[in-house]
Amino acid sequence: MTATQLKSAHSNTDYDSYSLWREASYRLKKNKMAMLGFWTLLALFVIAACTPWLAPYAYESQNLALGASPPSAQHLLGTDIHGRDLLTRLMYGSRVSLLVGFAATAVSLVIGVLWGTIAGYIGGRIDTVMMRIVDILYALPFMIFIILLMVVFGRSFLLLFLAIGLVEWLTMARIVRAQVLSVRKQEYIDAAIVTGLSHWQIIYRHVMPNILGPVIVYVTLTIPSVILLESFLSFLGLGIQPPQSSWGVLISRGVESMEEYPWLLIFPGLTLSITLFSLNFLGDGLRDALDPRTAKS
Amino acid sequence: MRLHKQAPWPRRLFTEIHWIRNLDAQAVIKRTRSITRVCLVLSLIIIASCDLGPSNRATGAAQQILHLGNGTEPKDLDPHIVTGVTEHNIISALLEGLVTEHPKTLQPQPGVAASWSLSEDGTRYTFKLRDNAYWSNGDRVTADDFLWSWQRLLMPTLAGEYAYQLYPIVNAAAFNKGELNDFSQVGISAPDPQTLIIDLAYPTPYFLSLLSHFSTFPVHKDTVLAHGKKDERGTLWTRAENFVGNGPFVLEEWRLNYLIKVTKNPFYWDQESVALNEIRFYPIDNAQTEERMFRTGALHIASSIPADKIASYQQNHPEKISINPYLGTYYYRFNVTRGPLVDPRVRRALSLAIDRQILVDAITKGGQIPAFSFTPPNTQGYQPPSGILSYDVGLARQLLADAGFPNGKGFPTLELLYNTSDGHRRIAVAVQQMWKEALNITIALSNQDWKVFLDRAQSLDYDIARAGWIGDYADPNTFLDMFVTDGGNNQTGWSHPQYDQLIAKAAAQADQSSRYKSFYKAEELLLNDSPIMPIYTYTRVQLMHPEVKGWLANILDHHPYKYVYIEPIAVNE
Repeated sequence: MTATQLKSAHSNTDYDSYSLWREASYRLKKNKMAMLGFWTLLALFVIAACTPWLAPYAYESQNLALGASPPSAQHLLGTDIHGRDLLTRLMYGSRVSLLVGFAATAVSLVIGVLWGTIAGYIGGRIDTVMMRIVDILYALPFMIFIILLMVVFGRSFLLLFLAIGLVEWLTMARIVRAQVLSVRKQEYIDAAIVTGLSHWQIIYRHVMPNILGPVIVYVTLTIPSVILLESFLSFLGLGIQPPQSSWGVLISRGVESMEEYPWLLIFPGLTLSITLFSLNFLGDGLRDALDPRTAKS
Repeated sequence: MRLHKQAPWPRRLFTEIHWIRNLDAQAVIKRTRSITRVCLVLSLIIIASCDLGPSNRATGAAQQILHLGNGTEPKDLDPHIVTGVTEHNIISALLEGLVTEHPKTLQPQPGVAASWSLSEDGTRYTFKLRDNAYWSNGDRVTADDFLWSWQRLLMPTLAGEYAYQLYPIVNAAAFNKGELNDFSQVGISAPDPQTLIIDLAYPTPYFLSLLSHFSTFPVHKDTVLAHGKKDERGTLWTRAENFVGNGPFVLEEWRLNYLIKVTKNPFYWDQESVALNEIRFYPIDNAQTEERMFRTGALHIASSIPADKIASYQQNHPEKISINPYLGTYYYRFNVTRGPLVDPRVRRALSLAIDRQILVDAITKGGQIPAFSFTPPNTQGYQPPSGILSYDVGLARQLLADAGFPNGKGFPTLELLYNTSDGHRRIAVAVQQMWKEALNITIALSNQDWKVFLDRAQSLDYDIARAGWIGDYADPNTFLDMFVTDGGNNQTGWSHPQYDQLIAKAAAQADQSSRYKSFYKAEELLLNDSPIMPIYTYTRVQLMHPEVKGWLANILDHHPYKYVYIEPIAVNE
């Protein structure tokens, strides 16, 4: 094989992958639900980022004399038992929840995908060892694992991401490994090996695009579970502490008095649900759009 | 759609889950139908599971079983090392002291002692023990049991928090402090198994009330020694399979964080007047859960009620809710041994900077009274000093500036510790913000489980800790003697020689008005030095189903169980 031929082969793959992405974005844009999810999420992010300028009140300022009041012109979503504006607290809460949700998921994504791909691609004894490590970590009660991490390294916001991410990557690693195993057996991988691509190139160009679908769907499922996990940790006194708020914290406070002050549960619950739906729609759309097999059909 | 067949399982699964995307009308209808079916089945299951037979209320009435919400999991059931109301509620069913209390007036009634006499000068009590008092294993309860038990309580190595209850007895304080090693010099003697003679260092008008407090209850010597040393804390003798008591009930079952079950004691001397066959204590520290259980008839009496629900109960079920005076103070402890709280000016500044009135109006909502003294006003006619504490932000700022923190500058972040409960958290969140706004200082909140919380308070491992003190008997002494130097329930590290002297002086005075004068002076010192920050005087807000009888309101919230019974009710709730 001559150098020119090799080069053309490469540029050919380059062209293909470029067209895959372009085609994917084209198909994503045609998917109305996914785009709705995308714009909703974008709006939530913009609001969260601009909260300090947008929020009508300070998140910790109390008005005990007012107490819990239903939605009104002054307080669009009402106030909690300390007379704090719920809209403000939801907006500040979104900063914590979205940050924890996405950052912790990103940590789990990076570790999980790397671990699963290496195990699945190399296979054999390394695979066995790596997956047994995952099994062992699975066997640890994960709450205790997180609490241990938090106790050893102290309570900090950054560590919260890391601790949750370190626990959440296990399932991701398993899913990725299973996918890689099935892709690995396909003929086009053999073909790629024959053409002399390096392992990293094969993983990057052939394996990754094929496992994107399940990974993205799993990511959209991990983010909400992480958001809820954060509220549980905060409840245990390990996450964020009052007067700060997050969606999970607001919901658990809302449950306390849902019969007397239903708005304290409804609005945070609604916000979380909308976020989760948006994530699922977008994730679903992305999966369909990015699947290389759909591209060819 | 062809792809579905080729897709590996996770993709198929996810496609199933995310069916909304495939807006194929027929499929949607089909799936909606199946969802309807699933919903139907689910709701049937829920309905079926609701009907689990008659409620605890109904079976309780038929079989005389009382179901009580009891706040939190008890720390232990050893009367010499516990301090909480939770533990009191259980121990008073299992053990009995020399005297008991009248269910309404709380006046001393014969208990293990059938009768007693007091010498002319008021310093020697002679108790005649009844000959039919037995332990639950059949052993006789003798005067030696009390001698042994009180020695145990006073042993310095046991470090019983309530040891100071016996300080009125000659030499008891010296023995407890380790200054005296010979217990025979302490003023307790048992000339024969049915006679107990107690010599007091000074006439103590409330001494009989001390004897109905759980810390002076006897414990079964052989059982304690079978499971550990005499002065060992937390041994297994209090487990259900080991416990031997002399109260109206015996410990039948203790399931951690779930249930404590006590049943009628056939060996109890007065068992004929015990109407209840069984009491079940449920440790529920979530007020919402407890209220829900009360509403569904799983509990006869709930130990607390969410503040938000008080108003609706008063309106819709006035027969089930009662609000009564309660001799107790809700307060915060300051750890005076470390950080900026060493400075009394800082402590007073914190105490002056909170608005107690709005706290009780907006947060606790149960008719509590803002507290500006530690002893509740009008405790047996005693009026505590007023005017030392108030809501005065200006003075608070001034004091904080004098202490070297103008406008909160340089003030470290302190931790406010409370035991896990929505009510405590709400107050803490409000106080945190009041301090932030008035003094510009930052407080971090930290909540802990009851046992951890008690341990940290006792070992002074905190900055500011929530606390509540319920009087053990109706006398200002029960509030003020706890802050003497190294008192077991002091737990602030605070010590003031003049205060100790005043409390000792009050104890030695027979005349009520000069006693109260000494208490007044002592409390002035306490409030000026502010090792504590009183917040409000408790009220007893209680949920109780009306068929429970003999459970009478009194200021200590003590309810001797042998007077309690349940009337038959119509089983329709």
